[in-house]
Amino acid sequence: MNDFTLGDILHALLGGLQWTAILSLTAFVLGSCGGLIILALRLAHRPVLVWLAKTFIEVFQGTPLLMQLFIVFFGLSLGGVEIPPWLAAALGLTLYTSAYLAEIWRGCVNAIPNAQWEGSAALALNRYQQMRHVILPQALRMAIAPTVGFLVQVVKGTSVASIIGFVELTKTGGMLANATFEPFLIYGLVAAGYFLLCYPLSLYSRHLERTLHVAR
Amino acid sequence: MSLVNITGLHKHYGPNHVLKGVDLTVKQGDVVTLIGRSGSGKSTLLRTINGLESFDEGSITLAGQTIGSRDAKTLQQLRLQVGMVFQQFNLFPHLTVGENIMMSPRVVKGESPHVLREEAHALLAKVGLADKFDAWPDQLSGGQQQRVAIARALAMKPQVLLCDEITSALDPELVNEVLAVVRQLAQEGMTLIMVTHEMRFARDVSNHVVFMHQGKIHEAGHPSDLFSRPQTPELQNFVSAVM
Repeated sequence: MNDFTLGDILHALLGGLQWTAILSLTAFVLGSCGGLIILALRLAHRPVLVWLAKTFIEVFQGTPLLMQLFIVFFGLSLGGVEIPPWLAAALGLTLYTSAYLAEIWRGCVNAIPNAQWEGSAALALNRYQQMRHVILPQALRMAIAPTVGFLVQVVKGTSVASIIGFVELTKTGGMLANATFEPFLIYGLVAAGYFLLCYPLSLYSRHLERTLHVAR
Repeated sequence: MSLVNITGLHKHYGPNHVLKGVDLTVKQGDVVTLIGRSGSGKSTLLRTINGLESFDEGSITLAGQTIGSRDAKTLQQLRLQVGMVFQQFNLFPHLTVGENIMMSPRVVKGESPHVLREEAHALLAKVGLADKFDAWPDQLSGGQQQRVAIARALAMKPQVLLCDEITSALDPELVNEVLAVVRQLAQEGMTLIMVTHEMRFARDVSNHVVFMHQGKIHEAGHPSDLFSRPQTPELQNFVSAVM
């Protein structure tokens, strides 16, 4: 009955893994850009902009990623915009990533001691110059490890894209499990696939934390 | 001609009235020391002079210009004239010593890197750290870091230098190397306004000592008079406690 060899299964799963990696990378790159924009709004001295950024962050941190994807996917099609599942997944994950990264990075900016603000203000730097030359260089160094750590969350988060029909690793696994009646083996391999992507990232993040957490 | 002119300065922190009408005139080349118990308002007064603290009433003029508004442009203009050295040095840990000194003149004034590099080397030589241009702040002792902070403030060529308890965070054996630099600046005619707990230093170096008590200038004068013949019981107590 079972026409699939282990080789076939692995081949199909690797195909899915590839899409998981592409989706993660897309969400991460675009989410970093979005995160920087939200961060800029969040740190602005205009209450309206701060409120906008706060609301965005609260909404995306306070709702499940799955609902966010549903709303992007079904909401847009309800509004007459038909978008393919991969685009909906990329968009949803980008928004989700933006919100989290903005908050992670804001924490890093806040962790810079007030003395650095005062020291640079006393040297006649304006707010933009303080950010650009004093605060952000230190905050970004601090942010590298938690940012890479969050990438692990993004990789695992891409699995929910399977529910709106995007064929990445989890969806591939689901289809294979139905066809082979070997769910334990298949999902074990799927989990191993995620682990393969995430574990090196975790290790790298931990390594960065050790080497970069010194003052400079 | 007076360089800094403070009249009727009041400041509140919530319910606390921390400055209660302060008048102070500082002439070019003056070395003014603010002394007093903690909480007397001396650091707050110092920090209003470069706009790190706002004030509620009164006025500060610097070289004839009144510092009224707190918009970013006015504050930046003010800070171009007034340098400051802090208790905790506040060096930028992500920049080398040389970059710490050159960054602000480059970014704010757009001066050429070539000129700045020479000036930075000269300033480091002046504070006795000629060989530390490429060092990182965390490789230096507290005394060395504070001397870099002084060089960094001088790189902006300020008209006045504010020193806020600049030796209070230092180990005792490092205090003198920093005071020696300040003493030299005073001898060269730099206008200095300092908050310090080093009374001997205040007596030797300054030409005007201001004793602050409960948010007011309680007594002020030349150090030789003030320290040897304090007029008020508050200053008598203070002097006998610290000297």
